Amino acid sequence: MKYEMKPLFKQRMQTLLPNQEDFNKYEKIIHTEPENFIRCNTIKISPSSLLSRLQKKWKVLQPCKEFPEIMLINQDLKPGELGNALEHVLGYYYIQEVSSMLPPIALNPKPNELILDLCASPGSKTSQIAMYMQNQGTIIANDLKIDRIKILSSNLGKCGVTNTIITRKDAISFCSQLSKSNFPKFDKILVDAPCSGEGTLRSSPKTFLMWNPKVIKKFSRQQKKFVAFALKCLKPNGTLVYSTCTHAPEENEEVISFMLENFPIKIETIRLPLKCHPGINSWKEKSYHNDVKHTCRIYPQDNNSEGFFVSKITLLEEIK
Amino acid sequence: MKLHFLKSKEKKAILKELELHYGITKLPYLLLKTGKQKIRGYSGHLSKEEIQELTRLTNVEIIGDYLISKKDQDPRISFDAIQLFKITKNITEINNNQLQKWLRGYDLNIPNIPRGITILKYKEDLVGIGKSNTEKIFNYVPKERKLKIPLHSTE
Repeated sequence: MKYEMKPLFKQRMQTLLPNQEDFNKYEKIIHTEPENFIRCNTIKISPSSLLSRLQKKWKVLQPCKEFPEIMLINQDLKPGELGNALEHVLGYYYIQEVSSMLPPIALNPKPNELILDLCASPGSKTSQIAMYMQNQGTIIANDLKIDRIKILSSNLGKCGVTNTIITRKDAISFCSQLSKSNFPKFDKILVDAPCSGEGTLRSSPKTFLMWNPKVIKKFSRQQKKFVAFALKCLKPNGTLVYSTCTHAPEENEEVISFMLENFPIKIETIRLPLKCHPGINSWKEKSYHNDVKHTCRIYPQDNNSEGFFVSKITLLEEIK
Repeated sequence: MKLHFLKSKEKKAILKELELHYGITKLPYLLLKTGKQKIRGYSGHLSKEEIQELTRLTNVEIIGDYLISKKDQDPRISFDAIQLFKITKNITEINNNQLQKWLRGYDLNIPNIPRGITILKYKEDLVGIGKSNTEKIFNYVPKERKLKIPLHSTE
């Protein structure tokens, strides 16, 4: 069944993509299924070994030279073929859309760092962070609900992640309690925030039906609270990556602008292996902080991917 | 969450068993006992005191990864953790037909394997752990990891 964009959603996307040709490409691609991207799990196997194995059955590409773990199965597959392959059962790769691999790349985790993944389930980004950390250091992977914790735990187990502690708490209480305690501050924090999901139309076409402007406002308020509390848990000079899988400026630039106006932070320029549009400086009647232009908007038509938003900030001084 | 960190003496005893059964000589984890029989391994850098402090502050659900079960007489390595260890003993090699059955949760009729736990190997991959009664190998692939598709016609 083909779903259509609701009129208001279409209008918003046309404003975000003022070039008609660009918008037409967007409108076309969101009705196609996403590409088959996987991420090599370097905790269990090297990209070169996995590549040579998979090339025996599929046409596999490594589209990003600097990130050999990102692989694209460049052919049609039978339903379930990726998930039922032996290499998947053994946790040698994780099925993950390429744009969702960007926040951990922006975070640039190192072994022996203390990292918080505030909204961690289902664990694709947590396991990616763990592999960049070579299973050293520590990740605190938090999520709210027990059913989501079970999925997170299962996925981390499959990937052989051993440097992670899974906690269950709402993000605001979690950060509030940790910031008041003697628990060490984090070197890096990922806030991959719950969002309206406008970027996931290709994999979840039901988002066309579920899209609702009221939800965007609700998420925006929640996201601002999340980052405000998360910053209290960050070390001075620590890094916070804020990401969403939506295009809505209220959930993206507006959240970053809120941080820039209220906290001692600076935005970092990020180099990502996909084509990015810069963040926008105004939306409707609102003007945003000038530095939000350093954030990254990922549109499906640019990279044959899903849509995403990624930003990276540095905390300049501790927030008491 | 009630934490039960294994003491150095307990860890040594487990490593000794792992060496005896699987040839494993390294266990670079902080070990915790959860439930009655499961042992989890944490490779992170937080101290026991810091983990305990975290437990006081929030709901710690899970620490590290489930590595070993003590349910059987012999220590059983978890399905997902097999690739994390360098296993050299008690390995039974299987062919593709057997692998396909194994991944779908079937027991394998392979006789003359010494009684007890054995690691299944297909080509270069360690593909699971089972228990032999000298006539067949009982399947220990966890339910959530089993393939739910029917066997190919070639098997």
